[in-house]
Amino acid sequence: MSPGAIWPRAAPDGAPTMWRFLGTRIAMGALTIWITTILVTLLIHAVPGDPVQIMYAQSQGTTPEQIEEVRRSLGLDRPIPVQYVMFLERLLQGDLGTTIRGGQPVLDVILQRLPNTLMLACAAMFIAILIGVPIGFLAAYREGSLVDIGLMMIAIAGISMPHFWLGLMLLFFFALELGWLPVSGNGPLNLILPALTLGLSNAAIFARLTRSSMIDVMGQDFVQTAYAKGLPKGLVLRRHVLRAGLLPVVTMMGLQFAFMMGGAIVVENIFSWNGVGRMAVEAIFQRDYPIIQGFILTFSVVVVVVAIAIDALYAVLDPRIRRS
Amino acid sequence: MSALLSVRDLSVRLGATPLVEGLAFDLHEGEVLSIVGESGSGKSMTAKALMGLLPPKVRAEGRALFGDVDLLAPGVDPPRGTGIGLIFQEPMTALTPVLSVGLQLTEALSSHKICSRAEAVQRAVTMLDRVGIPNPRARMEQYPHELSGGMRQRVVIAMMMLLGPRILIADEPTTALDVTVQAQILDLLRALVSETRIGLILITHDMGVVAETADTVLVMQSGRSVEYGAAKTVFSTPKAEYTRALLSAVPRIDASRTEAPPEHRGVILSARGITKTFPGRTASQGRGERALDDVSLELYRGETLAIVGESGSGKTTLGRVIARLTDPEQGRVMMDGVDLTASRGRDLRRVRRRVQMVFQDPYASLNPRQTVGQTIAEPLVIGGGLGRAERQADVRTLLEKIGRRAEMARRYPHEFSGGQRQRIAIARALAAGPDIIVADEPTSALDVSVQSRILDLLKALKESEGLTLLFISHDLAVVRQIADRVAVMRAGRILELGPSADVFAAPRHPYTKALMAAAPIPDPTRTRGARPPLPGSYPSGALAEVVPGHFVASDPIDRPSPAARLTV
Amino acid sequence: MEVTEDARGRPPGVLRRLIRSPSGAIGLVIVAGLVFCAAFADLLAPHNPMRMGTGGRFLPPGGEFLLGTDEFGRDVLSRILYGSRITLMIGAVAVGISLTVGMLIGMIAALQRGFVEALLMRSTDVLFSFTETLIALSFVAVLGPSLQNAVIAVGVAGIPFYARTCYAAALVETSRPYFEASISAGAGPARLVLVHLLPNVLPTMIVVATLGVSTAILAAAGLSFLGLGAQPPTSEWGYMLAGSRDYINRAPWLMTIPGLAIALTVLGFNLLGDGLRTSLDPAARS
Repeated sequence: MSPGAIWPRAAPDGAPTMWRFLGTRIAMGALTIWITTILVTLLIHAVPGDPVQIMYAQSQGTTPEQIEEVRRSLGLDRPIPVQYVMFLERLLQGDLGTTIRGGQPVLDVILQRLPNTLMLACAAMFIAILIGVPIGFLAAYREGSLVDIGLMMIAIAGISMPHFWLGLMLLFFFALELGWLPVSGNGPLNLILPALTLGLSNAAIFARLTRSSMIDVMGQDFVQTAYAKGLPKGLVLRRHVLRAGLLPVVTMMGLQFAFMMGGAIVVENIFSWNGVGRMAVEAIFQRDYPIIQGFILTFSVVVVVVAIAIDALYAVLDPRIRRS
Repeated sequence: MSALLSVRDLSVRLGATPLVEGLAFDLHEGEVLSIVGESGSGKSMTAKALMGLLPPKVRAEGRALFGDVDLLAPGVDPPRGTGIGLIFQEPMTALTPVLSVGLQLTEALSSHKICSRAEAVQRAVTMLDRVGIPNPRARMEQYPHELSGGMRQRVVIAMMMLLGPRILIADEPTTALDVTVQAQILDLLRALVSETRIGLILITHDMGVVAETADTVLVMQSGRSVEYGAAKTVFSTPKAEYTRALLSAVPRIDASRTEAPPEHRGVILSARGITKTFPGRTASQGRGERALDDVSLELYRGETLAIVGESGSGKTTLGRVIARLTDPEQGRVMMDGVDLTASRGRDLRRVRRRVQMVFQDPYASLNPRQTVGQTIAEPLVIGGGLGRAERQADVRTLLEKIGRRAEMARRYPHEFSGGQRQRIAIARALAAGPDIIVADEPTSALDVSVQSRILDLLKALKESEGLTLLFISHDLAVVRQIADRVAVMRAGRILELGPSADVFAAPRHPYTKALMAAAPIPDPTRTRGARPPLPGSYPSGALAEVVPGHFVASDPIDRPSPAARLTV
Repeated sequence: MEVTEDARGRPPGVLRRLIRSPSGAIGLVIVAGLVFCAAFADLLAPHNPMRMGTGGRFLPPGGEFLLGTDEFGRDVLSRILYGSRITLMIGAVAVGISLTVGMLIGMIAALQRGFVEALLMRSTDVLFSFTETLIALSFVAVLGPSLQNAVIAVGVAGIPFYARTCYAAALVETSRPYFEASISAGAGPARLVLVHLLPNVLPTMIVVATLGVSTAILAAAGLSFLGLGAQPPTSEWGYMLAGSRDYINRAPWLMTIPGLAIALTVLGFNLLGDGLRTSLDPAARS
């Protein structure tokens, strides 16, 4: 993901082919996940003090023998490289360990909740694009007008608004005051408010991004050339401006999805939405490190996979990469 | 014969600021009218006004009768495409990158309902063939990034001609192209004009291009027309002072130089077997196109050696290797027995001061956060050994040498024009007390009138300071004016090297011949014969001395010419 | 090239250009107001922000308690005023960490090239794709919830972004002719960095840092909102907002006021950053 490469320069002879482009991205993704596994192993050791003591500090009546037992089962009595190999071995078998509270397999706990988080993030992404892109396009089209200034003022206010606050206010008005939507739960109706919360704050980012990309494209020679051919304005905008101007927006979608996943952690907590974000925050309070490890790993896998998917989409959409 | 287009009192304003004032001209069938002027003269605004494509807040007034339609009347939409076509300067950005060439060629035919979709494709293929694009059917499927600059400009021309316009406006259509490609595009435009009897308005800053193509000339200066008439008359008996100045400033490739070449005073620097490949540029080119491929040359004390070549020839890389701003993979640069390429650290910082560079872009050449005085004093500070007052005195002297007053030292670069900045950059180079100055296209970003003054300054300083000058340029006429010896480069190889007078009078290498023939000459009375075609392959082996001091790549290691890819 | 200059021939004042741009002016006013509140919180606050039950719980805004009281009867206005200190401190420290480390990484990578460059920038890329939220959360998970840890977490989480931005800006400058001219004149690394690189990279980084204060404040408030940052009885705004959730029906002002304070502050820095971007942009100058 490289937000810097907004306008890839025309490929010189021998530029990366589409497969080399994707290959690089996939390798970077694999590297990211690999480094995550290392960091996750080291995580427990970075905790000041004895992690096992801390983990069990909240449960009453744990005997020193039990603590030793846990230490052994987590492999914390071995050297760190050995621990890492053990961790990798178990990971490859789909074993992320068991939770401290309840003793359930971490993978099950995560897989049970992950769909909820993905649903929330996708719905929010959909809302953000649906609202943000048209607004950005309109503002660019009317650049410098009152419409543009007004829309961009709203956008900057939107970016400045904490989404946890927006969420509380939506909750207050739509669920409590008006009673239109349920306060919490996990039905389809419950998805509306959290998705709206997350979607609206990111719509502002999409609007700004789309606007600057479109303004950039509208000033290009090829748009002037299209007008010089006598093409009607609608056609120029639809075919030339929109297609070229949306490409940089597409490249940013992977990063935006990662933001959504991050935002979901907070939003899930406001609306008691049963996703991995809420699970992670609870786990931090309970010092349930296996869950935290599992969460970090899951999060980075999701973000990496989505980023690669978006890169692939971009490679197909941009002929400069598709045909080189 | 009535005019195709009759313009009277054309004015363009941005708010209250006039950009163009009171312009008047006529354009007839089959006529090439050239609007010529330096940057900021308003020539591009004139084109945009006629097309109704002015930027927001810019307004045009006056009359421009196209048939019985006044293009400038309020509410009138000019017949863009079908009546008047427009070609921009930069072919690399004139085509939409995400749409296929075929779609961009045919979309306007469909949109104007000129013909059916199937016929549009047929017409497009025929037109691509006409503008000299080989294998046109395959091109239709391609995307702009797959075509070279010259090719793209041909596509744009085809795109406009397809709509059957009566007038074509070409705004600096060849400025971004290499000189050999420029010659081909100009030939194509002329041929199209005589075939279809359209009127062509050619906007340019280049007097050579005007002389080669135009029937009529309109000279613009700061938004006004200063001279308008038949090309031959304007060139032979210019009436306006400005035109005279402009013409006399234009360097000519066919000019004769009176100064005798300096006597041989020994080698000051020699480059041996320099090879440099840039990563990532070699994948699809088999053995790879090297920026520099085993290049050797010697620089004589006190001479001006020009390296001339088109884009991608490796001339800039060679200059940078000599100034040791780029490290070669192989080869050595020796200066008075010191190996510059092997120097490191403190040693290097001392010896490299003997070779200083002047760069092409005057706007990026100066640190915007340093005053002119600080910029010029920097090499003195680094050199050490001088007190503050002595340094200030030195800066004053240096400013005088470049013909500027000492007060300039307290100002910031953004207050100065490109030419002034280039002078400051020269003063900074002098401050290091160099023996050699490498000037990389030092005048390419400047207007003609400024260019000639910078060239004069370089010449004068070379004499007074006893410098040796390595002058890198794509412009043969400029090289003719300044160089004692010339090296012609292409695709990382030196193809011909010899005394300037010999090379220009009797070029030996086929590429040199093609390059010379392509250079426009600012003289409309000169009838030029058929240009020698760019050779498909040419000798590019080791240099062999044909006449004492005149070397030509004669080793017949025929390589497939990059020309086939780069131009057409 | 138009000549733009004031009497002394220096570039036109950044401050003057800033005030002339609407977003810059508004942003400057908001940020200045915030700094004023933080500096004089002692004098401005009508009550002790920690003292409970001064006049009763859940008093609505108006009267003696201008912005009402909270569930412990503490004066909301005073808590907001003292909270501005915490907010500014969070922004300054977190951005300070990100900016210092990020610029160091970015400039070293741009100057060193080769292996060091590849190592630094590839690891930055990996960390960047982790996203700031995850880095911050992992840090808090390790260090345990506290305001101090949250600020460190947010600061560390920002490093990859600052490093990348600084690297990109530095790369542009090092390839400019003036930089190479200085190398040619025999300049050493210290001179190249201090005279040429830093002054030309700094404007970009000032803009990034100003906008970054917004991000940092939002992120830290988010952590506090989750209970992972500021702990009771701190008058940190995100924490105040988190507490309001349980009384959302009874005392909606407990939600509106801290939220508004955060939004306004973040808006102020965003506008200031936007304004700075245009007034520091050398392209807009010519």
